[in-house]
Amino acid sequence: MLTKLSTLIFVLGLLLFGYRRILSYLRYFQQEEYSNRRFIAWIREKWAFDRRGSAVVCTLGIIALVLPGEWYGLVFSTLAATALWCIAVVIEQDPRTSGKLKLNMTQRARKISLVAFILYALVAFVPLALSCGSCGGSQNGLAMTAFFALLLVQSPALFLIASNKLLWPVEKALQDSYYAEAQRIMRHANPFVIGITGSYGKTGAKAALGDLMTQCLAPTFWPRKGINTIMGITRAIRETLKPFHHFAVIEMGAYNIGSIKRLCDFTPPKAALVTSVGIMHLERFGTPENVYLAKSEIAQALPADGILVCNGDSPNARRMASEHRRAVTLLYGLDQSAGVLDCYASELAFDDEGTRFVIHWKGARYPGRTPLLGRPALSNALGAFTMVCALGADPAYAAACLANLQPVDNRLVLDRKPFVSFLRDAYNSNPTGFEAALDVLKTLSAKRRIVMTPGMIELGEQQYEQNRRLATLSAAVADLFIIVGNTNKDALLAGLTGASFPIEKIVLAEDREAAFAAITDRGAQGDLVLIENDLGDLHEGLVSF
Amino acid sequence: MTNRLRVAVLFGGRSVEHEISVISALQLMLAVDPAKFDLIPVYITPNGSWYIGAALLERSFYAKALENLAQLEEVTLLPKPGVGGLTRVGVGGLSSVIQVDLYLPAFHGQYGEDGCIQGLFEMAQVPYTGSDLPSSAITMNKYLCKMYLSAHGIPVLPASIVHRNEAQADITQVVSELLSQDKFKHFPLFIKPCNLGSSIGVSRVNDATELAAALAKVFRFDTQALIEPCVSKIMEINVSVRAQLGIESGIEASVVEIPVSESGTLSYEEKYLRDGGKKSGRSQGMASLTRVIDPADLDSELRSQVIELAKRSFSLLGCSGVARLDFIVDLATNKLYFNELNAFPGSCAFYLWARSKPRVLYTQLIEDMINAALGRFATNAALDRDIGLRALK
Repeated sequence: MLTKLSTLIFVLGLLLFGYRRILSYLRYFQQEEYSNRRFIAWIREKWAFDRRGSAVVCTLGIIALVLPGEWYGLVFSTLAATALWCIAVVIEQDPRTSGKLKLNMTQRARKISLVAFILYALVAFVPLALSCGSCGGSQNGLAMTAFFALLLVQSPALFLIASNKLLWPVEKALQDSYYAEAQRIMRHANPFVIGITGSYGKTGAKAALGDLMTQCLAPTFWPRKGINTIMGITRAIRETLKPFHHFAVIEMGAYNIGSIKRLCDFTPPKAALVTSVGIMHLERFGTPENVYLAKSEIAQALPADGILVCNGDSPNARRMASEHRRAVTLLYGLDQSAGVLDCYASELAFDDEGTRFVIHWKGARYPGRTPLLGRPALSNALGAFTMVCALGADPAYAAACLANLQPVDNRLVLDRKPFVSFLRDAYNSNPTGFEAALDVLKTLSAKRRIVMTPGMIELGEQQYEQNRRLATLSAAVADLFIIVGNTNKDALLAGLTGASFPIEKIVLAEDREAAFAAITDRGAQGDLVLIENDLGDLHEGLVSF
Repeated sequence: MTNRLRVAVLFGGRSVEHEISVISALQLMLAVDPAKFDLIPVYITPNGSWYIGAALLERSFYAKALENLAQLEEVTLLPKPGVGGLTRVGVGGLSSVIQVDLYLPAFHGQYGEDGCIQGLFEMAQVPYTGSDLPSSAITMNKYLCKMYLSAHGIPVLPASIVHRNEAQADITQVVSELLSQDKFKHFPLFIKPCNLGSSIGVSRVNDATELAAALAKVFRFDTQALIEPCVSKIMEINVSVRAQLGIESGIEASVVEIPVSESGTLSYEEKYLRDGGKKSGRSQGMASLTRVIDPADLDSELRSQVIELAKRSFSLLGCSGVARLDFIVDLATNKLYFNELNAFPGSCAFYLWARSKPRVLYTQLIEDMINAALGRFATNAALDRDIGLRALK
């Protein structure tokens, strides 16, 4: 009787622990877009295995071996169950309410977690029931239970993967029905589609273009934030595309060769804006040439009478314009040294109100201002300006409308505060963006300039060198440099020390919270802090289970 | 308690002033006498769906209103005379009707203060507070309102109107034509949306580039922009006027106020996000504004002139309920101008009536407004609308 009670208590502890652990892993699984392959790679990279639960069950096994007996078994299994409960509920935070990106319990997340938990519970109950007598009974039985429990506490991620595999046919059928519905809506609304792609800047350019199109031409649909996958776009179309939308601006993300082509088949573009072709996500593509080929799919998808607008400051975007010319092919940019530009801006001046500029288009000058800060943001605005003008907008009105653009979340947004002010550029940083942010930081008024960054990621083999280079450039601007986490610590330190940046002005912060604590400690009135990049939960620091 | 009048307070709506309406309505519902009126809060979402429910009385609900709609019940008002109440919208379609005796629209801006909702009330043949359709429509459009009053001898600042399609087609030409007019020879100029309140989209411009940008800003929200010269030495004077049953003229005015602005013109932030020196950080709508109510040192002749012009304007426009009229004094020339009329002013201008003589407290103000609405409804219901078949006979 005592044995059965011991087993039951322990299993209940394991179930509660497993439920919360499934949710904790699900948060990361969701951020990896339910890709089993990427999730497994993340677990391996971060060594995201259980430590706490394992410590509890191992301790239980060892103690039970030393002190056998039914009463001891009951006491230890109760203690172990309580410890597992404490880990799940007290020590670890609820992933639905904590973390930078909280677990969003969508229908898919609910289904995956439910099936994963059922699998976990089945596995937890059956063998433990079979080995009944173990917890309080023989030493071998208890050791076996502990060993089995050890496997179980390490397994929630596996159950999630299994659940995802099992549910995939259902999910696929659902996705297909959503996809078909989105296609029906697209056919009915029949908007003029403008595709946007680029290694960097496409989300900012999409927001600028969508806004400018609505202001200057006609109601325009564009999926908000960084939505650039078929399923994301499908959802946006189903929820927000209306028949009155004359235009649709679709951001097309390249995750491998062929992904932009699939998006173009889904929403065939008649015009395309290419913001840059660089080295971001190099590890996915292998070579810069593959990046170019993947991005070129958008230009290839355009009809002969289509409009292709490319950023002339990006050599490969310029190359795309020359290799895939369409009826209207235009280049925009900020730097005329690389060749002729159809549209360019000069006389840039940054201040707290944003950027002042003069746009040159078809021989005329259009002075204006925008609340956007930094050359990349202005480049996006210029791309949007070129596109709306190509589509027939009055250039003077389009230039005036640039004053109404709003910065996209956390992309070089100035937040002036009475004590310490912030320049937030906390979105997936890249070398061009980082350099531009330093440019703005240098220009804006401040008593001291502080750079806080974990560095840049997804730069393949160039990651170390690019982080080192940007740290060197930062040394000329910053009065204090806060390195967040360990991901790029060595490269950033090398860049700073290489530029003879005083070591006492370098702060090593374990994570973002520690970095903000350092600002609270060392900040002074009039300081301006550039927050460059904010790595997601997937990349920041060590994962602790 | 059983004979209480069932009053549906409508707020929110498809307007950029949505949240201001929520603040005004919450404030108003707190002031209604529960012994006399049974309130039904009706929240209209930014996309136009109508909801009722107890949660609507909690201010905290609105921070995540769209995520919490499941707590509420969807209803609608059918434009069919005789229904009167709010019809429940269920999964299977329309169902039972919730009895409503009177509708109290507490909207600011488009679809609520501009005659749209009033048109629905008229179609449904239900009593409602505030101005009727034509008055609401004309007072909402700043340009039409000014031109109408000017034609009746009320002094207004010169103004021009620009339409969105003209600006989209050739903004350079539009700016050039504006600046060629004598009244706009000197900067700064004021650019405002024609059909919006709460200072949304208002700009003060100092050159042609800023003028073009300001017009573009207006056209994010509105299809018409109003351009006015800027009075450099300015004093604003506001006064509330209401239509009241049982007084001889039918119209009475509150004390006047002088709003205090830090920048020369009241911005949206100054009107609604400043908290009158309180530390709570929660806006109390227009009641939060820094102002001087019934200023003792205001010239008595000017004060009388403002009140007289306000009452005349209110009457000429055929307004009902409680309105606030804003005037401008050009201190350089000592000239007084009508600026605008708010058919449903922020905080219902109760702060002015509370200081008037005789004092009218907010609770009484609402009760009088309801009684005036019932009086108007009775008058309209008495009109003969059926003259029988003649042409079709």
